[in-house]
Amino acid sequence: MAVPDAPDAMLVVEGVTKRYQGVTALLDVDLSVRPSEIHALLGGNGAGKSTLINVLAGVTAPDEGTITLDGERLEIRKPSDALAHGITTVHQELSLVPALTTLDNIFLGREMRSGPPGLKVKLDRKTMTKRVESLAAEFGLSRIDLQLPVGEFGALKKRVVEIVKALAFEPRLLILDEPTSGLEDDERHRLFEYMRALRDRDVSLIWVTHHLDELFGLADTATVFRDGQTVGSVPVSDTSTDDLVQRMFGIAASELSGTREDAAPERVTEPGAEVLRLSDVSQGTVLREVSLSVHRGEILGIAGLAGAGRTELARAIMGVDKISSGSVHLHGKRVQVRHSSGMYRRGLAMVPEDRKHLGILGDLSIAENISISNLRRVSRFGFVVNKGSEAARAEEYRKSMSIRTPDVHAKIRNLSGGNQQKVIVARCLNTDPSVLIFDEPTQGIDVSAKVEVHNLIRDFVAAGGAAIVIASEVAELIELSHRVLVMKKGRLVGEITGIPEALADNRYDEVEHRIVSLAAGRSVA
Amino acid sequence: MRSGSRLMRILGTTGVPIAIALVIVILVFQVLSPVFLRPSAVSNYLNNGIPILLITVGVAFVIVGGGIDLSIGTVAGLSAGMTIWAVGAGMPTPVGVLVGVATGLVFGVVNGFVITQFGINDFIVTLATLNVAGGLLIVLSENVSLRGVNAPGLASLTQGSTLGIPTSFWIAVVIFVVMQFLLMRTVFGRRLFATGVSSEAATLAGVEVRRVRFNTFVISGVLAGAAGVLLASRLGAVQAFLGMGYEFTAIAGAVLGGVSLAGGRGSVWAAVVGGLMLATLQQGLRLNGVDPVYFSIVTGLAIVTGVVFDRQAQRLVLRRNVGGGPAQAVGAHPVAPEASHARETGVKS
Repeated sequence: MAVPDAPDAMLVVEGVTKRYQGVTALLDVDLSVRPSEIHALLGGNGAGKSTLINVLAGVTAPDEGTITLDGERLEIRKPSDALAHGITTVHQELSLVPALTTLDNIFLGREMRSGPPGLKVKLDRKTMTKRVESLAAEFGLSRIDLQLPVGEFGALKKRVVEIVKALAFEPRLLILDEPTSGLEDDERHRLFEYMRALRDRDVSLIWVTHHLDELFGLADTATVFRDGQTVGSVPVSDTSTDDLVQRMFGIAASELSGTREDAAPERVTEPGAEVLRLSDVSQGTVLREVSLSVHRGEILGIAGLAGAGRTELARAIMGVDKISSGSVHLHGKRVQVRHSSGMYRRGLAMVPEDRKHLGILGDLSIAENISISNLRRVSRFGFVVNKGSEAARAEEYRKSMSIRTPDVHAKIRNLSGGNQQKVIVARCLNTDPSVLIFDEPTQGIDVSAKVEVHNLIRDFVAAGGAAIVIASEVAELIELSHRVLVMKKGRLVGEITGIPEALADNRYDEVEHRIVSLAAGRSVA
Repeated sequence: MRSGSRLMRILGTTGVPIAIALVIVILVFQVLSPVFLRPSAVSNYLNNGIPILLITVGVAFVIVGGGIDLSIGTVAGLSAGMTIWAVGAGMPTPVGVLVGVATGLVFGVVNGFVITQFGINDFIVTLATLNVAGGLLIVLSENVSLRGVNAPGLASLTQGSTLGIPTSFWIAVVIFVVMQFLLMRTVFGRRLFATGVSSEAATLAGVEVRRVRFNTFVISGVLAGAAGVLLASRLGAVQAFLGMGYEFTAIAGAVLGGVSLAGGRGSVWAAVVGGLMLATLQQGLRLNGVDPVYFSIVTGLAIVTGVVFDRQAQRLVLRRNVGGGPAQAVGAHPVAPEASHARETGVKS
């Protein structure tokens, strides 16, 4: 399956190979992007998408291969080379300086200055404003927004600022790496509108995504990578999710759905005993009189828009942030939560959001990341860490959870996102928790790792645990949860029960509609 | 793993590059002036250097936890003054030692308490206590005589020897071994590294970050107190302003040894090697007849050169062994993991 010959291609990548210390990250990769198209790059973690993007952006230099733009061969050795040729990249990690205004961020490093000749030191904000004003307005950024520090904006607006920053210097090709990560459903759709608008401005987009369902109706072409090689390109209108999954992972989608139905939770029985109960928990203005309870064998989903207080609720339960009133009961006994260490000891554990900054301890090894929440288990006399038993435990988790690493002593930062997340889940399981809280458990990991994490959550619950799952993606919540609570402005505004039964009756759309309406604050039909 | 990667791994260990540099520096000085390695000269310069090495180790704990302690120099000076005062007032030597160490402990507790309970920046708090301790020593030295004290017991800590080696050397080695064990092998040490890598992530993983950080300031204070006792023992007299500036030598020594100011990286022995490097340079210059007015310039240049050298060595090793994120990710999936995918269940369609 070769890349279709595209005589009208704007960007042509041919035979690009990149090796790192004997490991081949890209092998003889081809890609061709036509003018004004949205071109999706697909592949599991480690398939080579990021490396290819880094090659195009000038972050890494390829060992072999050529890159041609409009028939002209390019030598991209550093990021400024890429920019000079009109190739701009919006990386997954936002690169904005929070304390600077939108305008200053857009022109960072390319400022326009005024002043006497030879002494042009004053920032010419007037000219800069004039230059981007209309472009910014097209993307919904007002004049006032330009003067505000970016740190005050939400995820979508920051993303938009990045895009405006990229467009201010008129790129021919815009590379978007996982642009929807951290966005809410409605924000995603607005971003997609922006992407269409860009295509209409004759900009070509290379779009990296893990969310196959986002492609349809938006992307024109999809190129699939696997193990550092190009599997092939297809027009998106001629393909299906199943087809793409097969190309990404090399086996049929039907084979992937092996032992378990991913569509519906199994348990349709009565819930077990109550494990955790919150009564009128408030915390300043971010949480207001939240009452809930979780039972053994249950997955409780928490839905809500950004800023609804979901993460704050999780942090309050874990004792990370102090609650101002209300009470927390574990196994029927009131607990005074003062610190997360106390909650871990009492049988609570949490997989935090934002794995890279809040989940992993990047400089520590996989084994050390697993043991950190329960060092007692691997220490002698309660204070000397026994490295042998620490490694042995990590080894058990590596096998049982199929964490793909050659060595549990490797630093966790060198693992792929999905494997990092499994390590964090192992850390939690290692504390033998009765309640496990997952905050955005599958953010930024590929479909196959996502299924693995979902199965870990189900296994935990099937073994008698209770799970609370927070997710922005409503579909994920419906797939996993037995019951969903919806939050809005720090309050619980609704509860949807009996989700497995509803799915069994094919009432998915109804459930989704109720959750979305409650979260957005519209009346339920 | 290919041959040579073992060597690279050793070179990449914190403190190894600087230890190699230290050996080279010692050899050069020995060639330049053959008295350099004479036992009396070595024991003299170690005796001079040990108090600063102690506070270097103490501040290394704070730095590994992602903090900083500027008060250690003047606290060591004040502890020295308190020890001399106690012994001069007729108290037995062990009590004098206790008074000195307790002075450091008190400052450590105050630093730790204010920083962790009120959430005030450690730089500011310890800058304040630096001034308080320095000021207290001035007041103390103006009110009681801190010189001419006849205290053979106290003096024997540094001037006596045990099994032919200065007693202070034994004291220091025992402290270093215990502290290295505490940092690298214990639950506390592990939590300290986690805190230094990311205090937010450590908190979410159930590490009581505030208690860990509090403890580092206590350790730093106690070691500053111990340093003060050894200073008092060696000098036999204490002047106002003793210990001022020691904190910078100590922090520089720790960083030179590879303790990262960003937190989460370092070891006791690396900090000691870094501190020894600075002490050795001074000693070498002194023996070679360099005017002491140039010492501080040479020390400053040595710090920058040493840190650049160490970081370049680390970077070289990282590049050779890791290669970069994407490569590692590919390496972690050794091609065609069909078997493992087969057990992964269906994908949302």
